[in-house]
Amino acid sequence: MIRYILPLIALVLFFLEPVFGLFSPLQLDGDYYYIVPRFLLMFLIFVTVYYDAKHAMFYGLFFGLLYDVFFIDIIGLYSFLYPMMCLIAGYIVKSVHRNLIVATLLTLVLTALFEFMLYLFFSFISMTSMPVNIFLTSRLLPTMIANSLFLVMLGWAFKSVIVARLIERENSKA
Amino acid sequence: MSRFFSNKRLILLMLGVILLVALISYSLRDRDNVSFPEQIIKDTVGAGQSLFSGPAHFVTGIFDNVDSLLNTYKENQHLKGRLEEFAAVQAEVTDLRSENDQLKEIVGKEADLRDYNPIQSTVIARNPDQWEEKVILNKGESDGVELNMAVMTAQGLIGKVSLVTDFTSTVELISTQNPNYRVSAMVIGGEEGVFGLIEGYDAERRELLLKRIDAEIELEVGQQVVSSGLGGIFPKGLIIGEITEITIDEFGLTKLAYVKPAADFTLLNHVMIADREMPETDGEDNGAAAEEEGS
Repeated sequence: MIRYILPLIALVLFFLEPVFGLFSPLQLDGDYYYIVPRFLLMFLIFVTVYYDAKHAMFYGLFFGLLYDVFFIDIIGLYSFLYPMMCLIAGYIVKSVHRNLIVATLLTLVLTALFEFMLYLFFSFISMTSMPVNIFLTSRLLPTMIANSLFLVMLGWAFKSVIVARLIERENSKA
Repeated sequence: MSRFFSNKRLILLMLGVILLVALISYSLRDRDNVSFPEQIIKDTVGAGQSLFSGPAHFVTGIFDNVDSLLNTYKENQHLKGRLEEFAAVQAEVTDLRSENDQLKEIVGKEADLRDYNPIQSTVIARNPDQWEEKVILNKGESDGVELNMAVMTAQGLIGKVSLVTDFTSTVELISTQNPNYRVSAMVIGGEEGVFGLIEGYDAERRELLLKRIDAEIELEVGQQVVSSGLGGIFPKGLIIGEITEITIDEFGLTKLAYVKPAADFTLLNHVMIADREMPETDGEDNGAAAEEEGS
């Protein structure tokens, strides 16, 4: 059963994202704040850090494709960006010490990068006309706060599940 | 780093980028129908998504109930005040309706642009990245949903169906930035209906733009804007919003009005798809088909 636990978690997170997306945008004092759940991306980066990058990229490609087809109808955007983020995470993690705090920070930095690249893409195809400063305050900041809360709460759970799976794989090899 | 840019990987990367650009440009085209593999993916993911959105709506429903319970006293006071007014209006509406029916019978007019069959539907997902204003509904072609149908809540119009598969449909909200998104609308409240097009959305003001109104016509702030039904797809009389400001458009030829949407786009749950009873024309709800014939 534990063999399939990683894709299963990824699937659940994939379905949970739009459910949490229903609560956004938040309205406070007449200003709107967009919160974009990025649970799946954060989980994939955790998989890259603690498991291996190849699996993470494969999951990223698969769920990115689903995301593209189901939600945004632009095929190739998420299915490219998810594996790319995992690739970058894989290269960085080779040269740093692996612990929970480093993994969390790395994940948050990459999530912010991911958001920013999406912003660049959508302003490039003129789907949005949001100026950079508004993007930073009304989208990036609330998104990062919400996602870091999520990660602080569940980061250790991700880690322990992935490590459990890793140990099991090592055992089955031996 | 040098290993990363070895020949084989570089070629793979280049191929990947080319494939990516090709796919993106393919899918960015104005597409009316979805390809078969996309349909399958959409329906499967949609079915899975319904499993998750059901409990979520249940939980938000509880919160809503608690919230309205807390406001009950204040609301009750307010409603009591309105109740007397309501009885009078109700009597008038019944009277006018029966008169209208009688008159229609005399004239022999059967179908009306106003008539539509509502298809009740639930929002199963909202595009979580929120760059494009889209929601996904749990009704599709098998329930009679067709492309470009109007979608609304009890408060007013929220968008139109932009893609439809067998069991799901994608709704593009009227708060979109898509320049090709138009809804033919009219302003009521004056002696006659004033016609214009809802075209564009001001993201900072969070208001719709009603364009192409004759410059001769006097409008007032606070007048209601409804769909006109002349675009060929939407039924007539769906509430869109209320005028908040009137200016002259960028060319100085026609008037432009800012319209505050009546519906709230933030927490969408149950919506209605309006299937018009009068035959529908092809194309979007912007009279484009008629324009083409004319030119």
